[in-house]
Amino acid sequence: MKTSSGALTLSVTFLLVAVAGCSSSDSEGGPAPTTSKAPGSVVEAAEAAAVEAAGGEELGGTVTMLGVLGGAELDAFKTVLAPFEKATGTEVQYEGTRDFAAVLQTRVEGGNPPDVVATPAIGEMAALAEQGALADLSEVVGDDTLNANFSQSLLETASLDGQVFGIFNSVNLGGLIWYDPKTYEGPTDPKSWEDLQAWATSTAEEGTTPWCVGLESGAASGWPAADFIDEILLRQAGPEFHTRWRNGEEPWTSPEVKAAFETYGAMVTEGMAYGGVTNVLSTNFAKAANPMYASPPECFLNQQASFMAGIITDSFPDIEPETDLDFFPVPDFTTEYPGIRSISGEIVAISNETPESVALVKYLATREAGTLIASTGRWLSPNKGVGESIYKDPFLKKASAVIAEAEGTYSLGNSLMPQTEVDAFWQAGLDYTQNPEELDEILETIESAR
Amino acid sequence: MIGDRIRLVVLAVALIWVATVVYLRVGDRALAGLPRGWNRRVVPWLFLAPAVAIVGLTLLFPAVSTVVLSFFSSDSSEYVGFDNYATTLTDSVTQVALRNTALWVVLLPSLSALVGLMIAVLADRVSYGGLVKAALFIPIAISAVAAGVIWTFMYEYQPPFANQTGTMNALVMLVPGAEPIAWIIDEATNNYALIAATLWTQAGFAMVIFSAALRSIPDELEDAARLDGATEWKVFRYISLPLLLPTVVVVMTTMTVVALKAFDIVYVMTNGAYGTDVLSTVMYRELFTAKDNGVAGAVATILMIAVLPIMIFNVRQFRRSARQ
Repeated sequence: MKTSSGALTLSVTFLLVAVAGCSSSDSEGGPAPTTSKAPGSVVEAAEAAAVEAAGGEELGGTVTMLGVLGGAELDAFKTVLAPFEKATGTEVQYEGTRDFAAVLQTRVEGGNPPDVVATPAIGEMAALAEQGALADLSEVVGDDTLNANFSQSLLETASLDGQVFGIFNSVNLGGLIWYDPKTYEGPTDPKSWEDLQAWATSTAEEGTTPWCVGLESGAASGWPAADFIDEILLRQAGPEFHTRWRNGEEPWTSPEVKAAFETYGAMVTEGMAYGGVTNVLSTNFAKAANPMYASPPECFLNQQASFMAGIITDSFPDIEPETDLDFFPVPDFTTEYPGIRSISGEIVAISNETPESVALVKYLATREAGTLIASTGRWLSPNKGVGESIYKDPFLKKASAVIAEAEGTYSLGNSLMPQTEVDAFWQAGLDYTQNPEELDEILETIESAR
Repeated sequence: MIGDRIRLVVLAVALIWVATVVYLRVGDRALAGLPRGWNRRVVPWLFLAPAVAIVGLTLLFPAVSTVVLSFFSSDSSEYVGFDNYATTLTDSVTQVALRNTALWVVLLPSLSALVGLMIAVLADRVSYGGLVKAALFIPIAISAVAAGVIWTFMYEYQPPFANQTGTMNALVMLVPGAEPIAWIIDEATNNYALIAATLWTQAGFAMVIFSAALRSIPDELEDAARLDGATEWKVFRYISLPLLLPTVVVVMTTMTVVALKAFDIVYVMTNGAYGTDVLSTVMYRELFTAKDNGVAGAVATILMIAVLPIMIFNVRQFRRSARQ
């Protein structure tokens, strides 16, 4: 309890700083995706870091990189790559695909792997590492650099049998609740999930749906439900249980998992979520928060990770951060495990060791590159050297503070599981939302997909 | 970069042309030296060999290795007999997929033949027929993935009290007292909605084939029937339709194969959620998500076995019409 209110006092302090930061970044105005939003000195420092990563050489050549980014997100990431390309003369050919697993699998088996891969599916990468398809970064990048820049837990998350196969490139803070401060009248610092749901229930009884939820996401539909159930389980049953569960040592059919599904389920019943179950299933997650800005608002709260701010402001460019949009972290589910936060993020790994691919990953591991990640205003940097003060974006600054104040941060389980299990989990998110009474069978289905 | 690639492609194409011409010329010369009887026997093989080699390499070899893989474990290391077939045929997901694929095979060919034939026959009788035909024909040029995206928008759902953003639901709401339908989520409608989207991309093809076939029916036959007092329906039923029957068969078999191959639209619109899996989406998931070469091979083989009789029938039909 103490920690979450502590985090809030702190974030209020940051609000003041952020408002100043925000107005100055506004004056730059408009979308300028290909050039970095970072000040020139940061870019210069990144170029120097890139030269060092390349061993002081003009490497030239090209690096092929396979990832999942596209559109504005890719443009933002390219601003991080630009100093590397400029300083080393190495061209980074980024291929973004929504069908990451299939494309990568085909290319690895065909003997034509990309040089570098970047993906949020850490479990999938672990499987590749087991096949020996990924370079050991503690050798290639060096343990000193890794330990200097990344926390032990992040390194362990992307390790297998003592081999570091990936380093985090960008991080999202999960379990945030987005709201419009102008219309939302409920608690912004609820003591517990029950307190928040008590407000939500009374709002529902008055005839307005409190929650804005959308689970549709093309071939990955259901992941928003899975992510939140994952988070609930982490914070309701505790990190130790959560770790055992994701490692396959606790069954899906255990009462803890069932309870997590049911806690989530109470949010998406008819009357609690905008448009009811059918609408929850058919609404794309990126459009989920839109009814929040109808007048009068159709719903008030949207549970989503830190990247949701970018999605909402993309849909509503006139939104002023903190005046029209703000967040508070999902409150504790139990007093037993207070102040726990979940993160997810993209890791980069080397699937074809060349001087250029090694230089690129070394560069991405530097504090300077991490600072550029932070400057995109889209992601948190996993780099230890990147402090809260570097974030210009008010939400990222606040999210960074939330992480700093947390009792513990853990990766979501579904980013670490084998893809078959993840798919079954996503599917279960949809099935359970649609037919909550079939929970037992649904859990057995995922258990058998293991 | 791009310039290099273009040069490479042009070079490769030129090389293939040159190699083919040289092969045929030189081969033909060399064989000309053989005694006449030998020459006549060997020359056809000279011309057939490249095509046979390509088909063997790109079709026969993968097909055979798929069948072989279906009898091995997930990483192809161990012979498991018919285990993969047993696993997949008893799996509830595959059973749903089999049911859906059967639904596709029944509905898509019959509906596309019906729609194609209807438009082909009727459009010739009205002044704006060309326009109707063009409207039905254009979707052929749209890729299945784009069609899937388009129809996702068409089927979009909003709650009853909100403005409907999907065209289909906007139409539904014109009916007083109607509720919007979650077309691709509701299990009562979703499979039909996907088949309808595919029909939209395929009916134009059927129509073109029927139009061409209709042209080939001599006008005298129909005119003679009309002089004898036949109604337009009778002319169609007893003159045109029997003559069109071989074409109906061609369209139906082609569409059956399309239905069996159905993948892109399902993958884009639902990815098999809410009971819309078809055999190819199951195969894809087994191969790329579960990385199980065995089960994926088994599903592929089941699909292949389902297509084979249709292909054999089709080839026979071709031979028959060639003989006539």
